Amino acid sequence: MTARIIQKLRVAAVAESTPEVRVYTLEHPRKPLLPDWSAGAHVDLRLPDGRMRQYSLCGEPGPQPRWQIAVKRETVGRGGSAWVHDSLAPGTEVQVSAPRNNFPLAAGAVRHVLVGGGIGVTPLLAMARSLAAQGADFTFHLCARSAALAPLLAELRVVCGERLATWFGDEGRRFDAALIGAPEAGVHLYACGPHRLIEAVRAAAAERGWAEAQQHYEVFQPTLDENFKPEPFELRIASTGEVLLVPADRSALDVLRERGFALPSSCELGVCGSCVCGYRDGIVIHRDSVLPVSARQDRMTLCVSRARVSVTVEL
Amino acid sequence: MSNTMAGPTHWDGFEHPAGRVAVGVAGGAGGWRGSLLHIHIAEAASFEMEELAEARCVAGRGIEGDRYFLGTGTYSPKPDVREVTLIEQEALDALARNDPPLQGGPIQLTPELHRRNLTVRGVPLNHLVGRRFQVGEVILRGGRLNFPCKYLEELLGLPVYLPLYNRSGLNCSIERGGIIRPGDAVLPLDA
Repeated sequence: MTARIIQKLRVAAVAESTPEVRVYTLEHPRKPLLPDWSAGAHVDLRLPDGRMRQYSLCGEPGPQPRWQIAVKRETVGRGGSAWVHDSLAPGTEVQVSAPRNNFPLAAGAVRHVLVGGGIGVTPLLAMARSLAAQGADFTFHLCARSAALAPLLAELRVVCGERLATWFGDEGRRFDAALIGAPEAGVHLYACGPHRLIEAVRAAAAERGWAEAQQHYEVFQPTLDENFKPEPFELRIASTGEVLLVPADRSALDVLRERGFALPSSCELGVCGSCVCGYRDGIVIHRDSVLPVSARQDRMTLCVSRARVSVTVEL
Repeated sequence: MSNTMAGPTHWDGFEHPAGRVAVGVAGGAGGWRGSLLHIHIAEAASFEMEELAEARCVAGRGIEGDRYFLGTGTYSPKPDVREVTLIEQEALDALARNDPPLQGGPIQLTPELHRRNLTVRGVPLNHLVGRRFQVGEVILRGGRLNFPCKYLEELLGLPVYLPLYNRSGLNCSIERGGIIRPGDAVLPLDA
């Protein structure tokens, strides 16, 4: 788990990218630079009721005076995007965490394939900026209903140039996940967007034998699994030996907090990674969308993941 | 978040197990005169610290507007001495010159980053557990030595845990409240 500083930033500008998407430029009221960040990183916006919402940074990575986030107004969302659209205007103060990157560019890659759908292009735009600046070899597949509804299209065209392939439904062009091609050494795949796009890319990658380590996904929505039936389990605290019961209808995070543990968390949906914790001696049912398979042997996401019978957490 | 629990969880400095023992033991440094350099508060856990030109200290509560006054700090649910925390500028200077060389190189832990409320110069904080002292018109009671936390290291992304060990500052309760400002004199009492 990683704690991050929360800063009170000022909205410097608001621009309409599409009828549904606005780009918010944020700056510190007193400091010339915001914390350093790398492509793929996101920040948390803190809503007035204390809930957090994750937004990828889509401007130029590095230590910068300003950040940009693109926010799509979700009509059936959890209320975060509507609050942003209705409440943030130039001059408004907003509480924003320091960036965290769960979706970094692979170091040492020789080529990159980026697949973005709808608002999912935001972290990928930052990646494209970094890759273009490095002169790296990359392809950007942009999927949207139409050019008019494709967020950040103008920026993507400038940054990617010929490397941008657009797949707009209204032009009858649909992205075929087979376009990711066969896995080659040093090629990395990144996808961010709606669940069905991610699933199509995952399926195509699995079919073609891409290694897990060459595939990178980010989904800011909970994993849909309506058949999952939570069971109660025991949590043993490694430092004290204390045993807490997690009932079927509560999360490990809730139970630990009630017992007085001050634990960081943010999305509480298993996507942001704030509450990730070490564990041992147990079979964990991983239900998050953040931990790579390689980390699941000894790390768990306390907000959504559970255990069979019992688990010892490194607290 | 669970750390927005209501209700005071502050101990008087001299009721803390460390402060209580120290009160009955002779010692401590006298004859010094220090000064208050900076005042910083944050409204909640993890929030960036803000520098104040003036602050109101309230006995039994803390510094007005600070997380430990409001009960919104990382450690607010734990009963402890946290009304006011102090650190020596000299400790920050030592980190900046990598002395002793416990980490890769110098660490610039600026007053805005260390998350203690008061940065003081010329005040032997490690000698003030179980002692009363004055910051401007306010009287503080040294309750226990501050201890570096991994949380700070994570929050800052700086390896400050080991180099802050034994010079992490002092946790105090407020015996007499009032207004403090940078530049105020810090003086021992009863010494």
